[in-house]
Amino acid sequence: MSMTFAIVADAQATIIAVTGEIDLGNSSELRREVLGKLAEGRAVAVDLAGVAYIDSSGVAALVEAYQASRQRHLGFYLQNVSVAAMRVLKLARLDQVFDIRTRPSGEQT
Amino acid sequence: MTVPPDPQLPDDYHRQLDLIAEMSHAFANSRDLDQTLHQGLARVAAFVDAEAASLFLIDEKTGELVCRACVGPVDITGLRLAPGTGVVGKVVEKNQAMFVKEAGRDPHFGALVDAKTGFSTRSILCAPLSVRSERLGAIELLNKAGGQLFHSSDRQLLRTLGVSAALAISNARLTRGLVEQERLRREVELAAEIQRGMLPSHRPKDCPVAGINRPAYAVSGDFFDILPLSDERVAFAVGDVSGKGINASLLMAKTISLFHCLAKAHRRPGALLAAINAELCETAGAGGTFVTMVAGFLDRRSGTILLANAGHEPPLLHQGLTFTSFDADTPPLGIAVDLVPQNMPETWLALGGGCLYLFTDGLTESSCDGVMLGSQGVERMINSVAALDLDHRLTAIIEALTKGAAVLRDDLTLMAVEDFRPKPLFASRFKASPEGLCELRQRVEAAAGAAGCSAESAAEVVLAVDEAVQNILRHAYHGEGDVYLEIRVVAEEGLEIQLIDFAAPVDVSQIGPRPIDKLRPGGLGTHFIRTIMDQVCFLPAPEGAGNLLRMTKALS
Repeated sequence: MSMTFAIVADAQATIIAVTGEIDLGNSSELRREVLGKLAEGRAVAVDLAGVAYIDSSGVAALVEAYQASRQRHLGFYLQNVSVAAMRVLKLARLDQVFDIRTRPSGEQT
Repeated sequence: MTVPPDPQLPDDYHRQLDLIAEMSHAFANSRDLDQTLHQGLARVAAFVDAEAASLFLIDEKTGELVCRACVGPVDITGLRLAPGTGVVGKVVEKNQAMFVKEAGRDPHFGALVDAKTGFSTRSILCAPLSVRSERLGAIELLNKAGGQLFHSSDRQLLRTLGVSAALAISNARLTRGLVEQERLRREVELAAEIQRGMLPSHRPKDCPVAGINRPAYAVSGDFFDILPLSDERVAFAVGDVSGKGINASLLMAKTISLFHCLAKAHRRPGALLAAINAELCETAGAGGTFVTMVAGFLDRRSGTILLANAGHEPPLLHQGLTFTSFDADTPPLGIAVDLVPQNMPETWLALGGGCLYLFTDGLTESSCDGVMLGSQGVERMINSVAALDLDHRLTAIIEALTKGAAVLRDDLTLMAVEDFRPKPLFASRFKASPEGLCELRQRVEAAAGAAGCSAESAAEVVLAVDEAVQNILRHAYHGEGDVYLEIRVVAEEGLEIQLIDFAAPVDVSQIGPRPIDKLRPGGLGTHFIRTIMDQVCFLPAPEGAGNLLRMTKALS
């Protein structure tokens, strides 16, 4: 099972929806994508609804994006985190660090 | 009581019969043949009034006629005549008695002996010594006293005595042959006993290596050895010396002694075989003999083996339904020093719950129901006994091959090296790469599920293994490389996972987890591993491998 992105941009942020397994073989693609959008000055949301697996290199890519967003004072959040991805974020104790939302921006109650 | 002579027969005849009876008795009971022959000759010469008498026997090696006994004025004992020479030679050749009335006029008479000895031969009576169709020599009488000629009754007497003397000589030779045979048989028996003592008589207690040897003859050119070492390792070897019989068994004895001694000083089988080869070449015996041999070291803790094969029948690794064979790395031992270098190729293999079989060509070349077994036959036979325990598997195979065969055509040797640890749920050596991790995760998930892990903890185990393999790729290989992974359920610890790589040993302190609060990428994988697994430790890697990581997790 490989990883695919779907990128949707709205007024507030670029939403990168990831499907599949994020591992050492492909996490650098995710990193490049997210850091690229932040560099363009866009807030970024990563939708993890379709993520079946994420390893430490995938988590590291998200951490690096989080750090870059803070430097640039841009929004960065995760949305629709799958059970599998949430388990790994909790193991890394990052579930309290990331801004994790259940719905796309603007629809949050 | 004395039997009165038959009044119808002349006195001479009775005296002759008495002499024949007496001499036959003496020959039949003789313990010192030379002495009996000499006495017999003297008695006959006296009886027929001959001036001299001699007995010649054919030298079995040269075919010459050698004087073994003689009476008369000149001692010619030890005199040698070329085959066919003189009257004696003719008599032997024709196997017929001969009269010579006037020696000087007879074309067969060789005056050489007379010239040498000063004896003057006038008349000769000579009779052959032969038993069945075998010609042994001749007996001759010279110069009947008073210038008379020998009678036909003298010839009769000489022929009759010749027969009993020949029988006695033949019997003595047969007896000597039997004594020699018996001596050799006892020596071979002794050699066989010493040789049996060199092979392990029984499997050392709890040792996962067993062997069996069936010699075709009393002594064997095959051998095997099992040597448990102090550090949970076991050295083992199977070999076959070219040829059979005593020569082969002596070289076998030398090779097994070298193995037994040198296995304690070497850690790698390649260097060990090279050392044995150097010794064998240095003191090479009869030309053309050589030794095919496989030697290995089993690491019991990891169930891994380092193997080296010098021209021997490929060992077979049996795992589930698959067989893997390991071909020879070099030519046989004992031919030339440089053929088996110190750094000869070796094979690293993991038993992974399977069993490694080593054997000699006596096994592959033996016939089962009239058909040569071959390597496929060996595989079938191993499969057919797979349900039995270690010792019974070996005896069952040997019994199946030797049943009904009165005589083995070749020595049979069979050894099995087993993994005594619990059977793994997953065992595989594969080329690890970032791209291959996905497939690995699926297989680990299946194994964890089979071990009874919940879906949640199976997912965690998958993450831990994935991260551990990533660490190997990152820190040990700096790229991609071979990894051997084994997962098994161990009663006390729960799930046990073992990862072996073949890179240079890594400084473990450099890959410890970083404080998680620092929020820096990297080091997170190690944190995952330590959080998910109950115990994580590096163990001394087996010989031939780089690093061994062992992780355990209790099964709830």
